[in-house]
Amino acid sequence: MVMNPDTASSKDVLNQLTNPIGAPQVTQDLSENVILTTLDDLHNWARLSSLWPLLYGTACCFIEFAALIGSRFDFDRFGLVPRASPRQADLIITAGTITMKMAPALVRLYEQMPDPKYVIAMGACTITGGMFSADSPTAVRGVDKLIPVDVYMPGCPPRPEAIIDAIIKLRKKISNEAVQERGLVGQTHRYYTRSHNMKPVPDILTGEYLRSSTRQAPPRELMQAMGMPVSPALEEVQQKEESARG
Amino acid sequence: MAESDQANKSEGQESIVEAGKTSRWLTENGFEHEALEADHSGVEVLKVDRDFLIPFATALYAYGFNYLQCQAAYDSGPGGDLVSTYHLMKLTDNADRPDEVRIKVFLPREDPRVPSVYWIWKAADWQERESYDMYGIVYEGHPNLKRILMPEDWKGYPLRKDYVSPDFFELQDAY
Repeated sequence: MVMNPDTASSKDVLNQLTNPIGAPQVTQDLSENVILTTLDDLHNWARLSSLWPLLYGTACCFIEFAALIGSRFDFDRFGLVPRASPRQADLIITAGTITMKMAPALVRLYEQMPDPKYVIAMGACTITGGMFSADSPTAVRGVDKLIPVDVYMPGCPPRPEAIIDAIIKLRKKISNEAVQERGLVGQTHRYYTRSHNMKPVPDILTGEYLRSSTRQAPPRELMQAMGMPVSPALEEVQQKEESARG
Repeated sequence: MAESDQANKSEGQESIVEAGKTSRWLTENGFEHEALEADHSGVEVLKVDRDFLIPFATALYAYGFNYLQCQAAYDSGPGGDLVSTYHLMKLTDNADRPDEVRIKVFLPREDPRVPSVYWIWKAADWQERESYDMYGIVYEGHPNLKRILMPEDWKGYPLRKDYVSPDFFELQDAY
């Protein structure tokens, strides 16, 4: 006598006894193969899975950001592929201090990025100016004076894990967006501005840097001074003669 | 700097600085200068009048100082002189403790003009531009003397002791 009955056959018997019509096969197939979602969710899911950050860094924060790109932290698994062109990027992580000389370049880069675009302010310098906020003549006190910031990431500099955390928070923010509301989200008027009267000046970068005429030979006074060690009294006499000659 | 000067004065005539090798050579050849106290690593420091800097530098170049290791400037204090310094070395193959010398040119704050050494050591190019940018020292004869770090239209020289940082409301306090 067999002590253990055949389990498979006993299950069949049990199924037939409890559910003689059989399992709802069609419904199960449908639930495994068909997704019901909204267009917003699908669209957001696609966007947050391929956030391409701009390869942008101005100071020590970028060292941590570069570590994040490397294999140890590997942020490609979030779909983040660093892009060297702002035209292909939809996220900018402002890694490093922004000075007033850099500010126009940063705003230009942000404007060149296609909508929708996101900004993560990385590190103390881009949140409040950080250690430069006390008495620096040129540091911008927080990058939000220039461009709208989505996520503020504190630290000096933040560790790569903190950047991952910020990106996860940004992904949550993106997943809550709706296409219908996109037109409503715009940058608010952030500060009092006055109309500046700009004076256009000639371009300073002419491409003639080393070929400029001032680099070909020293001025005459210096040439005379370098030729031989002349006593100052004699030099004065020579200069007087020259000025007399005109 | 000012404190050490005062200390030297208070010690009186006892603390006469002994002229180093380069200083003695220069004196023998009739180049006027003043030997300041050597720094902590024994590098000779020479004080030169700005009118004699170019013949002085030319002579040092001929003497073998072919390498301008560093050109720098500093502000000796509120109301004090601006100082342009040049650190020179003799660069050769297999050099072992090569000769070094540091030249200081003291310039009045109201009229900080000094001839450029760009035509003797090309390394002075950007460093003199930075000294001009930060302290407003005008290097006469420099081929491209304009601001290197600050924006082109900046007013004032940020590293002077009497500089007051301007307030940029839109970039510093707003929002």
